[in-house]
Amino acid sequence: MLEYQIFFDYAPILLIGFWLTIKIVVCAIALGIPLGLFLALGRRSNFVIISFLSTSFIELFRNTPFIIQVFLFYYVLPFYGLRLSAEYIGVLALAAFGSAYFAEIIRAGIDAVPKGQLDSARAIGMTDWQAMRNVILPQTLSIVIPPLTNQTLTLIKESAILSTITVHELTMTGLMVQGETFRPFEVFIMVALLYWALNETIATIMRKFEQNTKKNRKAGSIGNSSTTLKKSTSIK
Amino acid sequence: MTSNFLELKGLYKTFDNITALNNVSLNVSKGEVIFIIGPSGCGKSTLLRAVNWLTPPDKGEVWLEGKLVGSSSSKLTIKEAKLLNNLRAKMGMVFQQFNVWPHLNVLENVVRPQLVVAKRNKANAESKALKILDEVSLHNKIDEWPDHLSGGQKQRLAIARALAMDPILMLLDEPTSALDPELVGEVLIVLKRLVNNGMTMLIVTHELGFASEFGDRLLFMDGGEIIEEGSPKKILTMPKTKRLKMFLKKLDITSFKH
Repeated sequence: MLEYQIFFDYAPILLIGFWLTIKIVVCAIALGIPLGLFLALGRRSNFVIISFLSTSFIELFRNTPFIIQVFLFYYVLPFYGLRLSAEYIGVLALAAFGSAYFAEIIRAGIDAVPKGQLDSARAIGMTDWQAMRNVILPQTLSIVIPPLTNQTLTLIKESAILSTITVHELTMTGLMVQGETFRPFEVFIMVALLYWALNETIATIMRKFEQNTKKNRKAGSIGNSSTTLKKSTSIK
Repeated sequence: MTSNFLELKGLYKTFDNITALNNVSLNVSKGEVIFIIGPSGCGKSTLLRAVNWLTPPDKGEVWLEGKLVGSSSSKLTIKEAKLLNNLRAKMGMVFQQFNVWPHLNVLENVVRPQLVVAKRNKANAESKALKILDEVSLHNKIDEWPDHLSGGQKQRLAIARALAMDPILMLLDEPTSALDPELVGEVLIVLKRLVNNGMTMLIVTHELGFASEFGDRLLFMDGGEIIEEGSPKKILTMPKTKRLKMFLKKLDITSFKH
């Protein structure tokens, strides 16, 4: 039978591991999405070297197991004199792995914007980068939110693999508690529930955010447009 | 370099063995309104897109007011790319599919390029945008999103966006072809006002009535070449070549207006 006492006794220590998982994932996403954007733009670049390097990076990280990438980061970086704690290495590995997928999502999002949008931006005198920033990427955002959310959830689940390089995140903590109590069922149910709660929360928030971005464009005068209305009447 | 306002020299362009432009040269004087007609795939849109180097031709040069817009003989340096962007801003382009920006409301569509390209400050850009939106009768739509506009309103917005950059030349690629028939008139009214203000324009169109009334010159293109050119009335009533006769005949059958 379930031993309920274990839930109460070991909740605090599991929550500490959970908190580290959250911190690592947040850092990895904060690094991974900009890197993914950079790689997506790099892959489309007219400069052969940049596009080759970006493509190689993406394909390498997309087509090898994450656990092998983690081992390589963990054992190879110190060899080249970069001695970081396991947590930082975990963040870097997770960010690199995530960025390859983020890049492909963003690239598909950019390609989904009708070609005429770039034409009109270039025709009015915008540089490639100005057109990206002002016309293409803002339209890409609403397209990529659902797949980016999916990838974020995957990343959170993949972070469990960091337990193999002694990062004391949620899974590692669960393994330790299991070793102490010999109650795997109770422990891993708690661990699973915590991952589920985190992912469900993020999914719900992103759904709301997605609905809002859609609503904003359809509803007409909302937010900053009402301020422009005030300004415009004063100009007249 | 040259006294011509706009000069196209020997433009040549192929797409997968289809010749879209076959050694096309054209001189345009300031204030001239030129209509371009021809069957689909004849190269008329490619010609327009070559003028502002949006589709760089394989061979040839384009000059605007004595400045080189683009030349096929050399790759663009950073300085030339910058000049090209400046020249593009002076050449307002209007597309068949409007290409207004759906993530920006009506006012922002007209304001944004002024901020980004012309580097105007926000107050100036907004007052300019409001003045121009008023001219195209969109002053009561400034807070609207483009998705909520009719085709005619979208096209007028696209024209306003181009005009806000103070263009000296307008390139219009079938501006009324994607519109419901009852919406064509409101766009033509705006274009007529541009003609009356002395704007230099290159217009690809199927509106032959509009062309013969307001065009200084009409070009008939087929197979990437200018087959006939001259005053619109003369060309439309007395076509010389068989190809133009065939083309006009087909238009007569497919539309009531001519």
